[in-house]
Amino acid sequence: MIEIDHLTKRFSRHTAVDDISFEVGSGQVVGFLGPNGAGKTTTLRMLTGYLPPSSGFASVDGHDVFRDPLGARRKIGYLPESVPLYLDMRVREYLTFRGQIKGLRGRGLKRRLDEVLDQCGLQNVHRKMIKTLSKGYRQRVGIADALIHEPPLLILDEPTNGLDPNQIRSIRKLITRLGKKHTILVSTHILSEVAQLCNQIIIIDGGRIKAADTPANLVGQMRVAGRVTAEIKGPAEEIGAALQELKAVKKVSHELAKDGWEHFSIFVESSTDARERIANLARDKKWPLRSLSRHEATLEEVFVELTRKD
Amino acid sequence: MRTLLTLYAKELRSYFLSPFGWIVLAFTAIMQGVSLSTAMKILQDTPIADSLVYIVFHTPIFWFYFLFIFPLITMRLFAEEERSGTLETLLTAPVRTSQVVFSKYFAALSFYVILWIPAFVHFQLFSTLTNIPTPFTNGSLLGAFLIIFLMGVFYTAVGVLASSLTSSQIIAGIITICMLVIHYFLGFVTVIWGETSEAVGFFHYISCQEHLHFFAKGLIDSRPIVYNLSMAAIVLFLTHHIVDYRRWKR
Ligand SMILES: Nc1ncnc2c1ncn2[C@@H]1O[C@H](COP(=O)(O)OP(=O)(O)O)[C@@H](O)[C@H]1O
Ligand SMILES: [Mg+2]
Repeated sequence: MIEIDHLTKRFSRHTAVDDISFEVGSGQVVGFLGPNGAGKTTTLRMLTGYLPPSSGFASVDGHDVFRDPLGARRKIGYLPESVPLYLDMRVREYLTFRGQIKGLRGRGLKRRLDEVLDQCGLQNVHRKMIKTLSKGYRQRVGIADALIHEPPLLILDEPTNGLDPNQIRSIRKLITRLGKKHTILVSTHILSEVAQLCNQIIIIDGGRIKAADTPANLVGQMRVAGRVTAEIKGPAEEIGAALQELKAVKKVSHELAKDGWEHFSIFVESSTDARERIANLARDKKWPLRSLSRHEATLEEVFVELTRKD
Repeated sequence: MRTLLTLYAKELRSYFLSPFGWIVLAFTAIMQGVSLSTAMKILQDTPIADSLVYIVFHTPIFWFYFLFIFPLITMRLFAEEERSGTLETLLTAPVRTSQVVFSKYFAALSFYVILWIPAFVHFQLFSTLTNIPTPFTNGSLLGAFLIIFLMGVFYTAVGVLASSLTSSQIIAGIITICMLVIHYFLGFVTVIWGETSEAVGFFHYISCQEHLHFFAKGLIDSRPIVYNLSMAAIVLFLTHHIVDYRRWKR
């Protein structure tokens, strides 16, 4: 559905997007993840043909966004980051206008209007002026606009930005529902959102792609995944040395003892599980072992690990 | 074409949906009325060979309010879309930049034409209401309104251009009025510096005062028609490139 090939965008002295390439297949819901200033918006703007790239290629559903911008835009429903709307229009009037410039007419337009008003929960505000709507409703109007011409691809730039938790949940539900029919590329820096919504994640930082994979794979491959914590009773130094000797253990750190139990953090090579060896060691040495757990990495840790500045 | 019409209808309607459009309409209607009554007073006080139409378009306040119409009707067009960010939704919909430029231009020009309806009605009603034989010929009436329209064609394009240069309506308005005032004074060059310089022909050619002078006497000349139409085309062409270029640059 989306093909991006060596896309680069330089502003006067600053490279916002630096030679990125990725593909998004039909029917996927892809999270485009990165800290503020990573280049998400710039990438999405190039993909929608609003900004021309400095170099590189992008296409949507086979339409080159720069050679055939109109063809590509017909395939895209785009919700920009700031959700710009004509504030002195009424909801229905605005969506009618947007539908018309996207090529809808007459009965087809009317049918789609009713459908998107329904889908986005706008039925009871459709006669209101947009300037009187809350941020959450404006976001829905923006999504309704993106949907109106039934585009195969939805591009949503931080759709839950600035909403309260209830509004975030309802927008998230809406996006989940939309994901059944549309390919979606959604940019965000809220991690819990991505884990729930997306079956594919692209992490971008400083204009470069740091990782692109399914959420499960990303979490599985991370260094943090190889951390085991153990609570053992016995001589701390001796235990530390013995643990260090075990196969596949990279680093052992002793964290302060609590009520007589010594706490250890043990980093092992990822994709190995050292718990059994640790348990055997404790039994052989007759050191009581109270708990032994492998740390489940979260997306948040993945994100921090990939995008931190040190 | 249908896209162009949709965009055009939206732009034109927005003049009537905002109080600002009505204020501009009231402002010009009042100024046209003041022009007319000033002209009637002049005709009453002094014997004069010119027609009523000629005098109405040569009252002292005419150029003042006439030039101010253009920043008022055009400053919003692009500057406001740029400021509020709606240019992004507009230009990522399947529309061409040229359709956006033309729709805004023709909407502003249409509103401009509507602004002149009161003045036209004044002249039509004059003899009915006053029982005086019409103190002007149909030729001068036609000529005057033709050149008013032609200047509108050009100056509206200037306003659209200025609006595409900035995201501030005020600055767009100031740029428009400055450009129009400079153009206005260029028309006075031959009056100030005399007829001796080599470029005299050029300055006569572009002088809006002279155009109005002849057209309001019913002397219709093809050169001002060509001049205003081609200038409008050039300015709109520039506007189209500026709208694209400003995105490319940033
Ligand atoms: N119009 C612009 N002119 C200059 N620099 C810009 C412009 N837009 C964005 N940038 C810069 O490009 C970088 C990426 O911005 P952006 O794509 O908005 O990031 P994100 O959406 O991931 O927060 C930022 O450092 C930002 O300052
Ligand atoms: Mg952004």
